[in-house]
Amino acid sequence: MKTMTKKERVFSALNRQEVDRPPVANPTSVATVEMMDLVDAPFPEACRSAELNARLAATEITEFDFDSIAPYFSIIQESSAIGCDMQWEQKDNWPTVRMSNPIWQDASDVKVPKDFLEHKDTKVILDSIKILRKEFGNDIPIIGKTMGPWTLAYHVFGVEKFLLGTIDNPSETKLALEKLKEFTYLFGEAQIDAGADILTVPDHATGDLVSGQYYKTFLQDLHTEMAESFKVPLILHICGQTVDRMPAIAETGMHAFHFDSKNKPEDAMNAVQNKISLVGNINNPETLYSKNTTEVKKEVFDCLNAGVQIIAPECAIPLKTKSENLIAITEGVTDWLSEHNKN
Amino acid sequence: MFEHEGLSKEFEFVTKKSEIKHIGDSIKNTSIKMQTIAFALIQGDQDTVGQLTIECLEEGISANEILDNGLLNGMSIVGVKFRDNIIFVPEVLIAARAMKAGMTHIEPILSESGIEPQGKVLMGTVKGDLHDIGKNLCIMMLRGSGFTVYDLGVDTSPEDFADGFEEYQPDIIGMSALLTTTMPNMGRTIQYFEDVGLRDEVRLMVGGAPVTQEFADEMGADAYGDSAIDAVDKAKELILLLKDLRD
Repeated sequence: MKTMTKKERVFSALNRQEVDRPPVANPTSVATVEMMDLVDAPFPEACRSAELNARLAATEITEFDFDSIAPYFSIIQESSAIGCDMQWEQKDNWPTVRMSNPIWQDASDVKVPKDFLEHKDTKVILDSIKILRKEFGNDIPIIGKTMGPWTLAYHVFGVEKFLLGTIDNPSETKLALEKLKEFTYLFGEAQIDAGADILTVPDHATGDLVSGQYYKTFLQDLHTEMAESFKVPLILHICGQTVDRMPAIAETGMHAFHFDSKNKPEDAMNAVQNKISLVGNINNPETLYSKNTTEVKKEVFDCLNAGVQIIAPECAIPLKTKSENLIAITEGVTDWLSEHNKN
Repeated sequence: MFEHEGLSKEFEFVTKKSEIKHIGDSIKNTSIKMQTIAFALIQGDQDTVGQLTIECLEEGISANEILDNGLLNGMSIVGVKFRDNIIFVPEVLIAARAMKAGMTHIEPILSESGIEPQGKVLMGTVKGDLHDIGKNLCIMMLRGSGFTVYDLGVDTSPEDFADGFEEYQPDIIGMSALLTTTMPNMGRTIQYFEDVGLRDEVRLMVGGAPVTQEFADEMGADAYGDSAIDAVDKAKELILLLKDLRD
């Protein structure tokens, strides 16, 4: 088979078509402290300056030879633009929303600020995508990211209050999600206009917090509508145990699901029945953060043997992950191919 | 099985032999009123729990009896259902809210009674992590089980944990994390305690949705709780071990 460009490879994998080699692409983030030092683009500045953001994002290609670039490192850019109370942290910690100080009480408070797309913290991602597009041309896929309404709800209402509301007043919860999805569309469309080829939609209805039935009740229809509306492939990301909701996720029409290491690759493949591509699921806190390249490669093999279409860390990687372990992901795919072709 | 039909149905979710005996024995000789409190708590019915707690106190039932035979029996079944993925965090939160509705009336009585606490625990969510649901559930369960708990809140640095240790002199420090990206800060806190010579002075316990026993062992923690209920059991075990050491 002829050698594909990175973009052809990723798009084929997203469509569950034949590839020259399985792509490696993290749709969340591969920002690390080592890379921040290497290109002099530390957190939190790299989350707030387009030039630094693009420089750090580019290391995914230049240093790790992954098949895509994902310039949105955290999950808080929209929330900052909405007006949430932010904690920007420092180089070795993720910026985060102070969810104990929620800004809104209920669905009636949900309003899109006039300057939402001009705000420094949304614009940085749009400008970074433009820089990366110019620098890397059209053969490397750029993965944007736009938060789903469930995750935004945690940020604007507070996790505890929001989850209690799902039982106390589910209609109000549905109304809030319906209104919050406007942010998902606005920021997603703006990233596509800026040059994003694919969008990740993190929407953390995780099995560690809520049941699979919750996904069906509150989110499946919203995600189906997103898959129909956006003109680029969507990758849904949900952390934690998700096998119980994967059959529903597979029905949404999204191109791919980025899954956590708490779900075995074979179980995940069985759950989705080839109706959606899977992206994942190298363990972060144990394997990538504290084990060695042999262990990383073993997990790459496990994913490939199960048929996972795109190999990736399970989520945004810990900031102090060693580069050698990230390089080992790509090497693991090469080793697997050599072994596979021999047989 | 029990006098209260609804509670008997809830008890069917308890399937492990040891728990059937432990929780079943704890419920079987309790009054219908205590069983009604336990059932209302499982349902997350805070109004009923609050109202019945007041009524029981007015009837002269002791705060300890309401706590042990009503609230904690209900919470034990909630813990089992949560661990076995029968219910999830929203359902646990409404049960916790119901427990709080009862605790509001009995906590002042318990603290005035001068009973020695089971032990002292210092709790916090680790640096960079602002999630506190899991930590707060643990605190509530530990307090309900007789521990004195000091809460350092969220985003707690290793230095903050060490300062908290100096101030409160706890037997146990409990660290919580929800994010895989912040879990390594548990290891950093444990290392910090080594570096400043405090590691042998206190037992360090970890927990949180992404945390596993393997991770806890790698970080050098003394115990790992896989749920709020388990955290209480592990804390009790650590206190017993400490008692043996001190004796």
